[in-house]
Amino acid sequence: MNLYLKELKSSRKSLFFWSLGMVFMIVAGMSKYGSLATTGQSLNELMNTMPQSIQAIMGIGTLDLSTPIGYFGVVFSNLILIASIHAILMGANMIAKEETDKTAEFLLTKPLSRAQILSAKLCATVTSILLLNIITSVVSMIILSAYYSEASSLTSLMLLMTGMFFVQLIFASLGIFIATINKSVKKTSAIATAALLITYLLSIAINLSKPLENLQYLTPFKYFEAKTILVDQSLDPLFLMLTLCIVVLFTSFSYGIFKNRDLQI
Amino acid sequence: MMNLFRHELRVSRNATIIWTLSLSGLILFFMSMYPAISSDAKAFQNLLESYPQEVLVSLGISLETITSLLGFYSYVFTYIVLCTSIQAVQLGLQIISKESRDKTADFLLTKPVTRTSIITAKLMAALVLILITNGIFMVVARFTLPLFSDQSFDTSTFLLITSSSLWIAFFFLFIGMMASALLSPIKSVIALSLSMVFGFFVFSMLGAVVGEETIRYFTPFHYYDTAYILAHGTYEWDFVWIEVGLILVMGVLSYFLYRKKDIY
Repeated sequence: MNLYLKELKSSRKSLFFWSLGMVFMIVAGMSKYGSLATTGQSLNELMNTMPQSIQAIMGIGTLDLSTPIGYFGVVFSNLILIASIHAILMGANMIAKEETDKTAEFLLTKPLSRAQILSAKLCATVTSILLLNIITSVVSMIILSAYYSEASSLTSLMLLMTGMFFVQLIFASLGIFIATINKSVKKTSAIATAALLITYLLSIAINLSKPLENLQYLTPFKYFEAKTILVDQSLDPLFLMLTLCIVVLFTSFSYGIFKNRDLQI
Repeated sequence: MMNLFRHELRVSRNATIIWTLSLSGLILFFMSMYPAISSDAKAFQNLLESYPQEVLVSLGISLETITSLLGFYSYVFTYIVLCTSIQAVQLGLQIISKESRDKTADFLLTKPVTRTSIITAKLMAALVLILITNGIFMVVARFTLPLFSDQSFDTSTFLLITSSSLWIAFFFLFIGMMASALLSPIKSVIALSLSMVFGFFVFSMLGAVVGEETIRYFTPFHYYDTAYILAHGTYEWDFVWIEVGLILVMGVLSYFLYRKKDIY
């Protein structure tokens, strides 16, 4: 419990800056909504006939830019990227920092089992990604309600944010997993960067090319996309299951490996 | 100083090879999609014929540039720049912070070299590595483009677009170096580098969607606007001078700070 609180306290400052970044993105992104809303309507019909790959290049997608929530969908794809970076860094850093800061020996002399240590760190990670998610949701809600008040957009927003939370969970567990299996911090950093870049670039490539669609299971950025969530008004159960499996798998592997981990000091 | 320079090159050799190979693979992978996209575009253009004239004017022209070979290349290139920027900022952050992290700073500083020449040697090594990565990428890209399309393209426009990755990488190298002179001991290089580069990147993507002009001044990704280069065949020199100014300021500041810095 002490460890959990300590971890929360030490991530307080970075969480503040990440939230600030999120708020800034939302405000900067949504501030332009008004001016686009009027021109959006007439183009929508035409856009629907446009091939998917060209929509992707033009940066529009199938989102309806004439409604606030549709416009928010565009901002959302950027928010999810930031939240994922935060999550993978949180996860990886939770494990790696004890060794970079040379505090691992001190921590492990405490009367705590390794499983307990990992659990506390896991809980702290989940708490801080949840906090980031909640802050983002609340700010988005306030800004969206300034444009118009309709119950349907609120439920859509909730769905989007739940989707974002699942993606955050995947990346956090991936970060923890990468940090536990790698011996050196240098390697952890390199692999985490690669994982993030590859999944992100893959999601871009899938948008561009239909034949690659089967690869969508490999990149969490494709699991809960604004354009499908806003149309279906629900999260895809297949991807929910997949998320659950991935998170459970990474977490249980991390427990197994962390128990026998040699410290690198 | 020469030894240090060579040592730095050797230390980062593997990472540079991996970056270069991945970038080359990436451009091959992305450009291989071009034939499908260009046929999509043709089909769509035929469909557009039936629309009123004003829609065609507002959309058709931009569509043509966007789906041309260089147009698609410059779209894909955005993501290449994202990667080269991450490489550059990590090299920049390493310049000063690596010695502290690996506890080699005291060893290095007992050598009969001044701090100025230490940082110069390291900076030169980083510059060379960035030059090599971007240079090889440019050659690969030059030979990749004709593989997937028989459209001819303007070589000087191609060079202008492709070399912008180098200029943006320089910006990130210097911002990384300044951050490590300012902040170190840096606890986590990856956290700082990813949040800096992706921060600027997401910001510039938002800027592109909302079409806000002032945003362009705040993110180096917009200093070399590919749409402008495609249309005019030149850089926007205002932004080039802004970048040169920023690099000079950051460079001088880094030297100044490092000379007086407490080393842990």
